[in-house]
Amino acid sequence: MDAINGLMHGFGVILTLQNLYLCLLGSLIGTLVGVLPGVGPMAALALLLPVTFTLQPVGGMVMLASIFYGAMYGGSTTSILLNIPGEAASVVTCLDGHKLARQGRAGAALGIAALGSFFAGTLGVIIMTFFAPAIAALAIRFGPPENFGLMVLGLVCTLYMITGSPVKGVLMIALGFLCAAIGLDVVNGRERFTFGSVDLSAGIELLAVVIGLFGVSEVLSNVETMAKSTLVSDKIRGLWPTLDDWRQSWKPMLRGSGLGFVLGLVPGGGPVTASFMSYALERRVSDTPERFGEGAIEGVAGPESANNAAVAGSLIPVLSLGIPGNPVTALLLGALVIHGIQPGPLFVTQRPDLFWGIVASMYVGNVFLLLLNLPLVGLWAQLLRIPYRVLFPVVLLLSVIGTYSANKNVFDLWVMLGFGIAGYVLRKLEYDLAPFVIAFVLAPMLEQSMRQSLAMSADGAMIFFQRPGTALLLAASAVLVALMFRRKRKTEGGMP
Amino acid sequence: MKFSAIALALAAALAATPAAAQGGDTKAELAKLKPKDFPTEPIEFTVVYPAGGGMDVTGRLLAKTVEKVSGDRIIVNNRTGGAGMVGHTYLATQAKPDGYTVGVIANLMWGDAMLRAQNRWAYTDLEPIGYINSDALIWIGSTEGPYKGMSVKQIVQTAKDKPNTVRIATVPGSMWDYIVDQIEANFGAKFLRVPFQGGGAGITALIGGNVDIAQGFYSEFRGHLEAGKVAPLGVAAPDRMDFLKDMPTMNEALGGNEYQWIIIRFAVVPKGTQADRKAYLGAAVQAAMKDPELIAEYKKAGVYFDSKLTNPATMLQNLNAYATREKEFYQKTGRLK
Amino acid sequence: MFERALNAFWIALGAAAAAYAWTLGVMGPSGPDSGLFPLIASIIIAGSGVALMLQRSSLAPSPDFPRGAALWRVGGVIAGLALFAIGIPYLGFAITGAITMLILLRTVEQSSWAMSVLLAIASVIAVVWLFGHLLGMPLPRGPWGF
Repeated sequence: MDAINGLMHGFGVILTLQNLYLCLLGSLIGTLVGVLPGVGPMAALALLLPVTFTLQPVGGMVMLASIFYGAMYGGSTTSILLNIPGEAASVVTCLDGHKLARQGRAGAALGIAALGSFFAGTLGVIIMTFFAPAIAALAIRFGPPENFGLMVLGLVCTLYMITGSPVKGVLMIALGFLCAAIGLDVVNGRERFTFGSVDLSAGIELLAVVIGLFGVSEVLSNVETMAKSTLVSDKIRGLWPTLDDWRQSWKPMLRGSGLGFVLGLVPGGGPVTASFMSYALERRVSDTPERFGEGAIEGVAGPESANNAAVAGSLIPVLSLGIPGNPVTALLLGALVIHGIQPGPLFVTQRPDLFWGIVASMYVGNVFLLLLNLPLVGLWAQLLRIPYRVLFPVVLLLSVIGTYSANKNVFDLWVMLGFGIAGYVLRKLEYDLAPFVIAFVLAPMLEQSMRQSLAMSADGAMIFFQRPGTALLLAASAVLVALMFRRKRKTEGGMP
Repeated sequence: MKFSAIALALAAALAATPAAAQGGDTKAELAKLKPKDFPTEPIEFTVVYPAGGGMDVTGRLLAKTVEKVSGDRIIVNNRTGGAGMVGHTYLATQAKPDGYTVGVIANLMWGDAMLRAQNRWAYTDLEPIGYINSDALIWIGSTEGPYKGMSVKQIVQTAKDKPNTVRIATVPGSMWDYIVDQIEANFGAKFLRVPFQGGGAGITALIGGNVDIAQGFYSEFRGHLEAGKVAPLGVAAPDRMDFLKDMPTMNEALGGNEYQWIIIRFAVVPKGTQADRKAYLGAAVQAAMKDPELIAEYKKAGVYFDSKLTNPATMLQNLNAYATREKEFYQKTGRLK
Repeated sequence: MFERALNAFWIALGAAAAAYAWTLGVMGPSGPDSGLFPLIASIIIAGSGVALMLQRSSLAPSPDFPRGAALWRVGGVIAGLALFAIGIPYLGFAITGAITMLILLRTVEQSSWAMSVLLAIASVIAVVWLFGHLLGMPLPRGPWGF
């Protein structure tokens, strides 16, 4: 067994005091930047890149990789506690995670998030160990038409996410598309809806939008009623997930892991898309979709597993082919180059020490992260005992710095404030904000993949039916839409 | 691996003699130029493209070496967005001209200034202080599929005989696109242009069989070349590349002299930076560029050094000549009035 | 009432955006052009606005907007964040942060002067240390170098 030998070799490489220390340090930093809003794995990796110059390549890469997956563990913390996503892949965790926290069940949500992350992360590495080269060769063929099929499927899943008025839900999806169009057209570089403004030409920053819509609007709602209530109900019920939580969570974790892994693999995918898609999927398959958005533990378990699995998935094309699928893996690739290592298809055979070292370190790192995060669950949950009147200025300060650090542009603060006010008003009018954010994330990829597909096709839209993968994904989308109408007719027919 | 070892040894041999002689001198000279009150805090190197890309790696390697030769602290900061437009605009209009902001940019800035800045700023608002390196656009094909083994000429002929069948990856509104424009105009060919946001994504698509031709820089496809997945077809530079001697230039392959599309990387400061600070920063960058380790690192990435720009005395003049040449192209093709 | 105004806003926004998207060009030589996606989105927005307008008004939620002290607190937070955005380029992150926190603590939260000053300074120092020092993030500095 090549894989077993390789893995043994890898453990041999990383089981030194220094490499274990770097793995632990990376896990710690990853957790920290995950917890802190705004500073995501991208920013942390860019900041710490110079530090790794002085290290051996193995140690440096082990540390950088552990920051990447460590951030996926920490990211859910502020989403659950404060409704401010720690990084973009944890945005959906706000929806149900924070509701759970308000019901006094922050511990359960945090615990499930940590365990789901561990489960998915480990599962991802196991698959990576045995199938990396084969999977990579397959994933690379995933082109614009297949991406288009995937995005259509994602959009259809978003339709299922609408709660309350369907008209308002559809409106929010369209608004998400429109906001995503602001800036440079990804296909031809032309300015759209920028009205001559340089700030707008960079597009609207996702983090500014979500911190505004979720974090700031939450603060506004809370200070309005501050006289009457505190953040959480007085009693914090249980610091740990119950047996019941477990029963509800293991399937979403499994589904989230599979979905996240696949989405991490394909070019253009990654943890952010994975978490959104997993949430939509869980809602679709649930027998009680109305619980979603009101504190469903599955809404935490699925996405938090998905984003970790996506990290493992996205490392496969980088390490085995030298092809980065998203910005963070592009940065890891850059780090390899700076260390004087040529990434590419020959990487695995030329530098087995590095490849297997990184793989082995991911087993170790995930254990570190679980041990690190589980004890923190109790501590974080206690944080909610701090009276909100003391907490909210700090929340605002973190929102500001988190938004600012994404691009170091003050304009983003205005975007955050604008979306904060909009979110506050729209929530009062019973508009659903989640479909907006998902549409905002999916829109650029949907548009780009569709236009790329048509540009590369000699006979127009036929390309979507000539490629079996695309045809399959589009057929699945069509079935889902048909099912939705049937279900709707049923419920309408059932009414007197 | 062997290949890079030779390149490294070669580069070291080339660079070692002058640098060793100057090693002590440059440091002393740099100290002489150092203004009294500068720098008192870290100097920020602004890179306008995302961390991890070719430009970012270039900037970080430079920062590392400038720190080494000058002893000053350097922070690399990525200001990204709008395909570089945001960072360029920041440097030209918002950054304080106090010497604490240095831009590590490429000549793509000229296109932004001429075509997209709408007179809010001009390329003269950023003053070059040191040349870094050059990287030429290379056409690559796959070693599988219907076009394997074809030369540039044969591929262009195919695109003429059977228009809209050859798929080529481009980055719209930039040199990736302009070279295709030139070829289509000169030969009456018609490619299917598949738009991507960067050269790297196009190479991924080539390997996945989703396009037939990709365009990129040597460092972007070197791994795939060694693995035999891609074949270099032609380079859009005036001369053949040292490390790919068998690959013709696009000019040779197609007969002409206009197929030259090169990334020129250099360091700038915002206009109005104090003369003494500017001179010091310029000297620091130039001293760093004499460091044999840095040169070896850059060579490994497949870049080359344009002899017209390596001499600080004539750098500015020749850079301006290149900028003018680009402007003329825009005027000729009606992009700029 | 407010609901109706918002619906009218959606219709106006959709119409304006659709008109602008049209000028970007809808179909180009190689498939959809820049305007197609925004145009579709705009039409859906305007259409949804019309649909909401036609719904029976009894279905529309009647939100209770804050009054009195609550309005003061909500307005205070919005003003504080605006102040932040205005102040950062001139005063740097630390000073602006401390001032904004102080004002918020005094007006919204109405804690005592001593408590406010202490909390403001402590939290700003903690945040600047964490982000600026530990993570090495270049935070905007004021004229005094911090």
